[in-house]
Amino acid sequence: MGTSPAGVAGVRMRGFERLPWRRIILVVLGIAIVLVVGIGAWKTLSLNGAEGGYSGAAWRDFVVEGVSQGAIYAMIALGYSLVYGILRMINFAHGEVFMAGAFGSYFFADAYEKSGFLDRDPVLALLIITGVAIAVSVGTAALLERLAYRPLRHAPRLVPLITAIGASLFLQNVFRGFFGPQPYGYPKPHILTGGTTILGVAMTRVQLLVIVVAVLSMVALQLFVARTTTGRSMRAVAQDSEIASLMGINVDRVIVITFVIGGILAGIAGVLFSLTFGQVQFTMGFRPGIAAFTAAVLGGIGSIGGAALGGFLIGLLRAVGPPLILTGFGIPSVFSVRDAFVFLVLVLVLVFRPGGLLGSGEAEKV
Amino acid sequence: MDVRSWIRVGIIAGIVTIFLALVGLIGRFVDLNLVGEQVTFARLVLIAAPLVAGYAVTRPRIRAGERRALAPRDAIMAGAVSGATAGLVFGIAVVAADAFGIDRIRSVFLNVSQPLIDFVTFGQPPVVGAVILTAVSAVAGGLAAGLRVTPIAVRRPITTAVSAVLVLGFLQRIIPIALDQLNFERDWLYSRSIGGLTWLGAILVAGVAAGLSVLNARKGRDLRARLFSTREESTGVAPAQLGLALVLVAVLVAVPWVVGEVISQVLGTVLIYVLLGIGLNIVVGYAGLLDLGYVFFYAVGAYSTALLTGAALNTFTGSGPPAVSLDLNFYLAIPIVLVIAACAGLLIGAPVLRLRGDYLALVTLGLGEMVTVLVRSPWLVPLVGGPNGMRGVSDAAVAGFGFREPQHFYYLALGFVLLAIFVSWRLSASRIGRAWTAMREDEQTAEAMGVNTTRFKLLAFAMGGAIGSLGGSMFAVQIGSLTPQSFEVTVSILVLGLVILGGLGSLPGVVVGALVLVGLPGLLREFEEYRGLAYGAALVAVMILRPQGLVPNVRRSRELQEEERAQDEWALEKEADVAVVEGIST
Amino acid sequence: MRKPRWFAVVTLLGALSLVAAGCAEEEGGGGGGGGGGGIDCATVEFGCVEVGPDDPINIGVSQVISGADATLGQDQVNGIELALDHRDGTFDGTDGTVLDHAVELTVEDDGCSAEGGQAAATALAADTSVVAVIGTSCSSGALGVADTILSEKGILLFSASNTNPALTAEGTHQPFYARTAHNDRIQGAIVAEFALGQDVGAKSAATIADESPYTQGLVAAFEQNFEAGGGTLTGSEQVNSEDTDFKAPLRSLAEGNPDVLYFPIFVAACTLVIKQAQEIMPDTTLIVSDGCLSSDTLKNAGADAKGVYASSPDIAASANPFYLNELVPAYKKEFNSAPLSVFHSHAYDAANILMDAIEAVAIQNEDGSLSIPRQALRDAVFATKDYEGSTGTFTCTPLGDCATDVTIGIFRAPGWPVEGGSPNAEAVYSDTKSLEDVL
Repeated sequence: MGTSPAGVAGVRMRGFERLPWRRIILVVLGIAIVLVVGIGAWKTLSLNGAEGGYSGAAWRDFVVEGVSQGAIYAMIALGYSLVYGILRMINFAHGEVFMAGAFGSYFFADAYEKSGFLDRDPVLALLIITGVAIAVSVGTAALLERLAYRPLRHAPRLVPLITAIGASLFLQNVFRGFFGPQPYGYPKPHILTGGTTILGVAMTRVQLLVIVVAVLSMVALQLFVARTTTGRSMRAVAQDSEIASLMGINVDRVIVITFVIGGILAGIAGVLFSLTFGQVQFTMGFRPGIAAFTAAVLGGIGSIGGAALGGFLIGLLRAVGPPLILTGFGIPSVFSVRDAFVFLVLVLVLVFRPGGLLGSGEAEKV
Repeated sequence: MDVRSWIRVGIIAGIVTIFLALVGLIGRFVDLNLVGEQVTFARLVLIAAPLVAGYAVTRPRIRAGERRALAPRDAIMAGAVSGATAGLVFGIAVVAADAFGIDRIRSVFLNVSQPLIDFVTFGQPPVVGAVILTAVSAVAGGLAAGLRVTPIAVRRPITTAVSAVLVLGFLQRIIPIALDQLNFERDWLYSRSIGGLTWLGAILVAGVAAGLSVLNARKGRDLRARLFSTREESTGVAPAQLGLALVLVAVLVAVPWVVGEVISQVLGTVLIYVLLGIGLNIVVGYAGLLDLGYVFFYAVGAYSTALLTGAALNTFTGSGPPAVSLDLNFYLAIPIVLVIAACAGLLIGAPVLRLRGDYLALVTLGLGEMVTVLVRSPWLVPLVGGPNGMRGVSDAAVAGFGFREPQHFYYLALGFVLLAIFVSWRLSASRIGRAWTAMREDEQTAEAMGVNTTRFKLLAFAMGGAIGSLGGSMFAVQIGSLTPQSFEVTVSILVLGLVILGGLGSLPGVVVGALVLVGLPGLLREFEEYRGLAYGAALVAVMILRPQGLVPNVRRSRELQEEERAQDEWALEKEADVAVVEGIST
Repeated sequence: MRKPRWFAVVTLLGALSLVAAGCAEEEGGGGGGGGGGGIDCATVEFGCVEVGPDDPINIGVSQVISGADATLGQDQVNGIELALDHRDGTFDGTDGTVLDHAVELTVEDDGCSAEGGQAAATALAADTSVVAVIGTSCSSGALGVADTILSEKGILLFSASNTNPALTAEGTHQPFYARTAHNDRIQGAIVAEFALGQDVGAKSAATIADESPYTQGLVAAFEQNFEAGGGTLTGSEQVNSEDTDFKAPLRSLAEGNPDVLYFPIFVAACTLVIKQAQEIMPDTTLIVSDGCLSSDTLKNAGADAKGVYASSPDIAASANPFYLNELVPAYKKEFNSAPLSVFHSHAYDAANILMDAIEAVAIQNEDGSLSIPRQALRDAVFATKDYEGSTGTFTCTPLGDCATDVTIGIFRAPGWPVEGGSPNAEAVYSDTKSLEDVL
């Protein structure tokens, strides 16, 4: 927030109030954070095993776990980020788009497992399952856009956000109504069980698959946006939709495409998530959705690289942050507060860099 | 003659009915009798979509600025066609489902079952059932259409009577108990054996409601004119208005004893949410700052009240004292709670308030999550009891008169609500309120005009937080025992929803919103399962059809109408729909 | 406790009358001593429930019947209905009577939460015909909420599934609260004993709880007894039941190399922990409790569930032939499913103890009406001694714990006593303890 310390409205302020209080607070806050993080990490690392310290292997596992979780967050985060970039709205229901894809593909995955197809031809089966997940997610996203968001295209910004919250709640309860509140076990082909070692780092095959697919999808998306005509029109609409429409770009079409791309990524993420955890439930979209949205903002919303970076960071923060910083202070069961920890980091990042890590670095006044 | 649109609406209605059946709204309520054993909730759901379809297709069209209603015969025709289509679509789905195998569908869609199929086909073979369905739906659609084109003098008593009967039918678990408590005979109205209204009761209720409606149409306008004449027209308080105010006070005071404990309990919860709504309304409605984590202040209020009034921690084997606690009188604790909440608002607000709107929403959402996580974390067990929570919160007794009983609690909560309404109303009319308005409408201009936006944002956050914490305090008094379950993100969303449903910036809107979103579910607890569904759908529908809320703030909606309508083509597009909505409601 | 009708009029006068009302009520509330013979309903504390000559006896039921925990409540409602059915001596679908009056249930949904427990208790307390309440489903609905509301009105709250120790602890127990459910202290102790015993032979253990008081209580009981028995605790974590990713906390617990991991959490999270723990700590023995003992767990965890131990009241060991040969078949016939949990039997017994108590204390008036004194009814239930229930004997303590001798069995997956496991699963370990035996 470099531009305006408490000055703009301070015409009538008395002398001592002219001090740049905000700056001072920020600096003090910054020093305090560095101290807390430093001391916490140092104390944790100086603990030995008997005192609750962690071995090198544990740290490595935390990092692998964080990265593979982060890859999924990143893919969902892209959906938030793309839509925000173009419509300037938070599609709060995107977590449910992800859930819909995972849930829809479950019924096929389950049938394939029972018929043995999943293990007989795992690659083809997984491709079909992913196709189903993408279809359901894209369908949900497109319906959302058409029924809930399009009528509100030019409404004040609060309106579509609240609509999105309502849609999120609605979708969750539709799935609960259709399929019940209980969790369903998502099958995993045998080929994906067990572990493997890449570059000397041990990880499970699912984790490897998740990271590889996520990175490939993000590269593909980057290429699509940068190289194709449609990608160019997306960028044009993101910059200024009115000018873009004057230039002959069909804004409605671009918006639909954006939702579709978000849906595709969410569908893939849904399958990866389900393979990782082996379980789907109607509530499964909410928390990953919030985590992914946080990731998008952390990285700098509207930017593809930012969403990817934010996703991996959130994954790492959840897995590595609490043990590294909180254990040293003797806080019991550090992972129980990991969500609070993530948000704390988010607040701090936004205080110092209001546009997110890769954002403009500037608070956009709205 | 627009047969295609009739059929299109009918198809949509048919799909809606399929959807309602799949989520279980039909199959689960086959035995929920509303009137006699004939009018059941499930039957109502079955014909609901055709009814709405029939009503919708007869919507007067606006062409060239003129409303054109359909002629009665065309309208009934349209309704019947639409309804029949809806019934046919659903019927085909039923036949197809039956042919495909109910058990196979049931393995995916849990609510599809043989009893459901039997119910919707009226116990006949599927094809025959589908034909009956189509016929019934056609009649329903035609009736709805016919109702719409009847003159208002006839239509209004009918709709009033039907709504009254349905409302009483839905309240079958509540009203009989209240009548019992008042020692009124109730068997003529509610049947003990089947649950719902008796036919005799229903007919009497319908008659009374229709009569009142006719009376209202004849004399109502005159009476209302005398009671609600606005201040601009008359100086001083007219005797009629004074009388109205007295009656209002009397009603507010008498309500808990008339409606009984169960409804009083619900009203108490409604009042808690009114307090929360008033607080959030200051933040979102007045100052335009979107706060998705309002549960933060609710939790701060509840837990600090508990800690200040000597509550104990629930522990594994009983209870124990918290790490920090005072044993203050409730009324001494309240000001401290308010100060704590306001300070919390300032502390939190200071770093984040300069963020742009959406980021603020996310950060506040995060703060709400944080409080949820913290009150249940093992880390804070010594202070707030963790998952086991706290017990023994003060019941705010005055001279031995406790306020935990529902009927007593109502008065305490009402007192604080009135206080909060007064404060909020004065604030909105003051210089501060105008600064908030300016800031909400255009922050940069407001700053340029010399409004210290940071300071006013902080003030809104602190004021909103303080009033919200009062809601938390009230909750603690009402329930007496706190567990983290009560402080989850759903609270934030519920409060935001009621503020928006009622109309941003509107105090009567907050009350109406709380009655609809908290009061109704409290009374209709047999539909608990479907609360989230209805709530989500309502939020979307309100935003699309009536974004200014049910009871819009006058000044704000004037702004909306004059400025934004002129600016936004969106609002112009909406105008047609709004006109129709208004057409319905007049 | 009925409010006179003129009250409505008086309150119109305003705030002054409010105070007067409070005083008036207090005077009415205070009365003579407890029950005993020769009860005069006009003077006895909490008065009597009057049942008209042709009216049914109304028993309140406060259970969770919607949402994710609905099976827990539904199972108990089924158990109560079976008790009514068998009141005439047979399971024939026709309800028996109590003192020639039919018995009617008023079921309120308590949502398995504090707010739900409050709403349900208020609604039931307001219904003056309610004699007593069977419920709540979850401890959080009773603890400091329903138990207090109903005790203040002198209405017995009799739970078949609240297991939290605090409900019957000295100092927090409410006078009108009792339960046929087992106290978590016993289950936690037996699990610890099993873990330390020769089947597992554990020297060290780690635990995982979630944000529910239920898992907190079990974990606390387990930890106390495990340490008292000479074991070492290597770590404990608390997770969020809506989370999915437990690898990091599990990895952290794995640092202590525990022999046993005890996580009495609920199905969704429990299944995920089972799967992820098999990956991260394959050599650790996994033990869960009845919150996880479900066919969904077996189905969703698949091969990973194999070998996981689950503790639960051991019905097969403690049940009499009547339960196995008559009650369970009747349940299957009437509700078209196998029992959903173990709590239907506790609810069945609770309903019977309650109806016996009503028969013992109700005053039969000449016109065929009944007067049931509330205090005496409560005392009669608390006086239950050596009652032969469907799955054990009950003797109520002064603090309301009626299941004093509890048999807990440990089952090894896939041999869990649920659908999808083995229907006649035998416990690999089973022990009976009473409250005096445990910490």
